[in-house]
Amino acid sequence: MTTPVNTALEVLEKQLNRPLIAALEVCARCGICAETCHYYMAEPTTEHVPAARGEALRRVYRSEHDFLSRIFPRWTGAERLNEATLAKLAEMAFSQCTLCRRCTFNCPMGVDTPLMMRAVRAMATAAGVAPEVLVMLADAAIEKGKDPSFFREMFVEMMADVEKELQARVGDPEAHITVQRAGAKVLYVPLAGVHTILPPAIIFHAAKEDWTLSVFEAANYGLFLGDVSRAKQIAARIINEAKELGVQEVVLAECGHAYAALRWEAPNWFGETFPFRVVSLVEKIDQYIAEGRLQLDPSANPELITYHDSCNMARSGGVIEEPRRVLQAAVQNFVEMTPNRHEAYCCGGGGGLVALPEYTERRLKAGQPKAEQIRRTGAKIVVAACENCRLQIGELSGHYGLGVEVMALADVVVKAMRLPETQAEGEVLPLSQDVAVPTAGD
Amino acid sequence: MSLLLVTQILALLGLLFAVGAFALRWRAAQQRPFAPDRAPAKGSPRHGVLYAFTLGMAPWAKESTRRHMLAYLRGIGFHIGIFSGLTALLISPWWEVLPMPLRWLFAALTGLGALFGLIGEIMRRVEHHLRLLSTPDDHFSVLLVTVFLAATSAALLSDIWQPIMYLAGAVMFIYAPLGKIRHCIYFFFSRRFFGLLIGRRAVVHAEVTR
Repeated sequence: MTTPVNTALEVLEKQLNRPLIAALEVCARCGICAETCHYYMAEPTTEHVPAARGEALRRVYRSEHDFLSRIFPRWTGAERLNEATLAKLAEMAFSQCTLCRRCTFNCPMGVDTPLMMRAVRAMATAAGVAPEVLVMLADAAIEKGKDPSFFREMFVEMMADVEKELQARVGDPEAHITVQRAGAKVLYVPLAGVHTILPPAIIFHAAKEDWTLSVFEAANYGLFLGDVSRAKQIAARIINEAKELGVQEVVLAECGHAYAALRWEAPNWFGETFPFRVVSLVEKIDQYIAEGRLQLDPSANPELITYHDSCNMARSGGVIEEPRRVLQAAVQNFVEMTPNRHEAYCCGGGGGLVALPEYTERRLKAGQPKAEQIRRTGAKIVVAACENCRLQIGELSGHYGLGVEVMALADVVVKAMRLPETQAEGEVLPLSQDVAVPTAGD
Repeated sequence: MSLLLVTQILALLGLLFAVGAFALRWRAAQQRPFAPDRAPAKGSPRHGVLYAFTLGMAPWAKESTRRHMLAYLRGIGFHIGIFSGLTALLISPWWEVLPMPLRWLFAALTGLGALFGLIGEIMRRVEHHLRLLSTPDDHFSVLLVTVFLAATSAALLSDIWQPIMYLAGAVMFIYAPLGKIRHCIYFFFSRRFFGLLIGRRAVVHAEVTR
């Protein structure tokens, strides 16, 4: 009879590739990783030491795969998996680790704790003990992706309104937003909400880009679940769309995990190199500036502005200098957080935590180091190239009384383009105003 | 048969066991999948691996090691002692022809390694989180290596310690593939995987070239 425990162990067995085995075997339990974790910084308990998290899975691994542990489990701390330990493992992997990889960079051995936590998430998902919200969001995206025609119709209608906004903002009645136009060079994949469509549309128009809009959203909840099967199905919608349209490049909205999923993971899930490039909007804007296709006036952004490195974009994605070059061109007063780049603190909202209301208190507490870091800069505006980071930092601002405004990089760039503030017929939508757009997979 | 010869044979058998057991582990690991990364590289994987084994190991390269500089240097010293002690053991049949200053150097490095090992074990027992994280295997492994290093250092200075060195070496070799000591082999794989990842994704390139 298949039990959740057996299912979880079967998944662990399938996950055991060479990097995971190395991560499980190499830890010397020196504990030097402790203060590198934002959970530990906010609440210095042993369970928040990254090595302790890895050890939780190692105990199970040893009981299954280690000769000495089978004979003397207490000697090596081995422990057979049962339903109680599976539930504890799942709770830990989904609520006490944002997969930020900060501990990995700080480990002399290079222990990839997020790799282990992703394995636990996969085990928990298969065993049916993953957070329901994430499973529902992933499954809804897959379901809607099966027949996007209904959403496409609604989406196209809504885009007609957004197009009017675009024309008003750029003062050009010939500015267009096309949806799934075959032959376009660039396919832009937004997130749910017009705030991830209008500013990029303004930028694409200014850069004279040959672009079209995807009906899907870039988010991939399968990644958070550690479930490659679901993640593949969600990613396949965009990949197939890009292939059918024959685009040369897929530009992803400012979203850390979407970038990690489609840029770095998806080619391995599908075992192929795609016939198009995958870049982040951040990289695209940087390219436009380098090519002289965007004229920016930094004096339009005179406030003290700081930048938050999303873990998926920077530490795990290599998009580190691009946003800084963009900000250098678009703002007058920029201040770095300390530490920054690949040493930056996680905001605490990653790994799907922002979508899990049951862990709100824990998430806000874990965001304390980031909140203090922001406070120390004295900045009035925090720019982040990730939707989940922006949501988390916005909440941190309220919770810790930071009083900062949180903006996307595209918002800052559009502000530096000095567009007219109003149109003849009436008010123009503020760029930060979130109007829900029913992308297929939302 | 002298006591020295018996312990030498035991050490040799232990070494053969360790080599064989590690070879089996290596083969088992090689049978596990490691799919080629198909995402187009942004940076150089080679650059990343080089960084992981060189600059990335420098005490100033990581926040954790900057913060725990002494503990990290203690660990480095312990492992330098291990390399020194193992080398000394492997060349022990030729100690007679070894220049004395070199023998003293080996003795000093190995002896310091033993001291650092002992300090490490004390830290493991005293520090709250380390104590909770440690298993009996962790304590035994550190103590076993420490005893081996101390015996090797002493043997380099006085021949009467040689049987103890060989015996400690034999036990250490036999235990190495079974317990925590085996992490030393996985270190090279783990750092390589880390290097490949950060190199392909150009995460450290800015850091290196800045």
